[in-house]
Amino acid sequence: MRQTLLIPSLVLFIVGSICFYISTPHQQGRDAINFCEAGQIHTLDPDKMTWMQDIRVAMGLWEGLAQYNPQTLEPIPGVAKSWKISDDGLTYTFFLRHNARWSNGQMVTTADFIFAWKRILQPSTAAGYVTMLFHIAGARAYFNSLAAHPLKHLPFSSVGIKASGPYKLVVTLAHPCGYFLSLMAFPPFFPLNPAAMAHFRAAAHGGVPVQYDPRWTRPPHLISDGPYRLAAWKFHQYLELRPNRYYWDRRAVKCAALYIRNFPDAQSAFLAYQSGAVDVLSFVPTRFAPALLRQQREHIRDDVHYRPVFGSYYFNVNCRHKPLNNPLIRRALDMAIDKRAIVKDILRLPDRPLEVLVPPESIPGYKSPHGLPMNISAAKELLIKAGYPGGRDLPVFKFLTNSGAAMNIRIAQAIAEMWRKNLGVRISIHEEESKIFNQDVVHGNYDIARAGWYGDYMDPTTWLDLFRTGNPNNLTGFSNAQLNALLHKASYQTSAVKRFALLHQAEKLLVTRWMPSIPLFQYSDGLMYNPQRIGGISTNVRMITLLKYIHWIHHPAPQTAEAPQ
Amino acid sequence: MKKFILSRLLQSVVVVWLVYTATFWLLMATPGDPFIGKKQPPPAVLAALRQRYGLDKGDFHAYLAYGWQIIAHGDFGPTISYANWTVLDVIRNSLPVSVALGALALLIALWLGVAAGVLGAVYRGRWPDIVLTVGTLLGISLPTFVIGSGLLMLFAVETSLLPSGGWGTLKQLILPAFTLAVLFLAYLARLSRASTLDVISSDFVRTARAKGLSPMKVIAGHVLPNASIAVLAFLGPATASILTGSFIVEKIFAIPGLGEVFVNACLDKDIPLVLGIVLVYTVLLVLMNLLVDIACAMADPRIRI
Repeated sequence: MRQTLLIPSLVLFIVGSICFYISTPHQQGRDAINFCEAGQIHTLDPDKMTWMQDIRVAMGLWEGLAQYNPQTLEPIPGVAKSWKISDDGLTYTFFLRHNARWSNGQMVTTADFIFAWKRILQPSTAAGYVTMLFHIAGARAYFNSLAAHPLKHLPFSSVGIKASGPYKLVVTLAHPCGYFLSLMAFPPFFPLNPAAMAHFRAAAHGGVPVQYDPRWTRPPHLISDGPYRLAAWKFHQYLELRPNRYYWDRRAVKCAALYIRNFPDAQSAFLAYQSGAVDVLSFVPTRFAPALLRQQREHIRDDVHYRPVFGSYYFNVNCRHKPLNNPLIRRALDMAIDKRAIVKDILRLPDRPLEVLVPPESIPGYKSPHGLPMNISAAKELLIKAGYPGGRDLPVFKFLTNSGAAMNIRIAQAIAEMWRKNLGVRISIHEEESKIFNQDVVHGNYDIARAGWYGDYMDPTTWLDLFRTGNPNNLTGFSNAQLNALLHKASYQTSAVKRFALLHQAEKLLVTRWMPSIPLFQYSDGLMYNPQRIGGISTNVRMITLLKYIHWIHHPAPQTAEAPQ
Repeated sequence: MKKFILSRLLQSVVVVWLVYTATFWLLMATPGDPFIGKKQPPPAVLAALRQRYGLDKGDFHAYLAYGWQIIAHGDFGPTISYANWTVLDVIRNSLPVSVALGALALLIALWLGVAAGVLGAVYRGRWPDIVLTVGTLLGISLPTFVIGSGLLMLFAVETSLLPSGGWGTLKQLILPAFTLAVLFLAYLARLSRASTLDVISSDFVRTARAKGLSPMKVIAGHVLPNASIAVLAFLGPATASILTGSFIVEKIFAIPGLGEVFVNACLDKDIPLVLGIVLVYTVLLVLMNLLVDIACAMADPRIRI
């Protein structure tokens, strides 16, 4: 009977040891760089990704026709060694380089691009960014016909994508698009290797479209054409990237192994960084940011790389609901907010207050309009004009914010107080889980809601389109014929200067007259790494850290690299 | 015994089915849409996603379809939030982490807890017993995140004796396993103190003492085996709750276990993943309880099954 405790202990010991053994990662080499992402990798299918961390990894694994210049983000030759754009800006001819190869040694040809683009245009692929391809002539109609009649749809030949031989690709656009080339460096336009995916293909039958088992993205099946190949992917632990030895620009890749890691919260990630288990942190933890930035200013540390980014924090106003469908009230709400105080006292970060929608000075050549400055007496007069002097007779507005970031609720409370004091407007604040919040916002179940947006491409329309009638991302329900006309006109304008002038006019009207969204501040974000040890990290407004160029400057002492994580 | 095991297994099938039904309809009743994120794709894309996860033909159809998929193919399908991994992939990768951590925590709790309990009973009313009572009270009432953060500050941040978190080396296992063990250690100490006291005052122990056995021999040979049956009965539910309750510890120490995946799956409304994890936990709990019942019957001839 002595075994009463011994047997369970033995069982626990054996089970625990086996589980520990099978779940531990293998030892990594000393030259590996540990790169910590802000969030979990959701998918490595370039056609389906929408999360920043997924996109950053995809840009390390794949290469499109173009790639980004790491500093300016201008498109530079990638798989295409050169291109020609017709005078009307509608026809793009890409000349593929003859030495672009997949990580299994196969050549990258036009067929790989056509395969990928045809796949993303299938509604069944469920690609989040499929609308980016709608710039191509016939693409939208092809997609819609497939969605409406899976069996009797338009042929793919109706889409303006034509190969002439394995190394020449001609793309015809529906309308001129000044930023189309830079889209060529973005995941939805990456090529895919049909041979590698064939094994995972489930045949189409009786109206059921072609599907790929999503496990095709797991090593060793994933074949990519970029700087790295995917050597290992341990769920919830790390991704291991190793140089693709067939990559045409192999000499530019100086990092022997790159580990992409992620931690369940910012604090543990920061601790791992402080202890040397992580070399690059792809974000600056919000909680510690004010203190870290102070130390950086006082030259105590030099590893905080913080800058304004191409994203903004704002409030959506539900333009479908009375009385908020009156732009006078929306403008009054905007003018009664002390945005400087929000940034200085609540965020306590060097973020910039915003009066406009598109973060200023981000897009070369685009001049931002002036928005409405804070003016309480003018705001009060606007309310009188709207028929609600002193905020009397106005209902209590339902304000919606998502939980997860303490900052959201503090900002909402501060602004509620400003509106109450300055205008006599009252709001009730509701905090919801992200999934519920998103659903309520999409269904228009709110009066005013917190919002944040990061631009997807370097053009004002990535913001201005949010207010176009019929855009699924138009969450305010704002609909204005004049705005739609301006955006439409701009999309057919070949001259960049004239186009930007039209968009400037549209943004000016949005932020000075219609005000469907109340801009608050421009996001800032950053990276943390020791600049004496790690080089090749580009700083740009879109937080696109190109993994291709990361490398050691000063090789670490052995003890910092021995333990994984 | 055979009859008992068979009938228990049959009961378990009903239990698992009831848990599946309850989980499924609770998930359906919670607000939130798993496919609506920050950026909105065209409606056709959303429709394709619903179709892929079998959620396009109404809730009852999905209830039957998921159930059939699980019974007929033993497959929970792909997850929603980690699209490249199936539910089984996720469980296969994350469960061993939680099990390894939980097993070590239980071992610590079991041995330290029983030792402390016996010590308390033997020295009843004297200082070791008082220290033990205060200690177990603290262990039961202090929340895990306080203990975890405290240990982290003490051993990782201030002194760097141990790593702050992560997974892969035995050193990284010490702090989280101890944090996870504290609550169970305290429970087991109380439990074994009470049952030891029970046994110590019984006739056969007095007889053993009267025969002139040394106090050590009395405890080890006569008291402990009988007192530990209560401890054994506690192990079943403890295993289940240590596995499901490791979420906070996993978060504090950045451990890639199933607890964190489970909580995130609930927040993301990842229906297949939540169903899969709940069912795996259910099966584990049912099996553990059955094993413990059998073990108790074997350890104590008075228990008839």
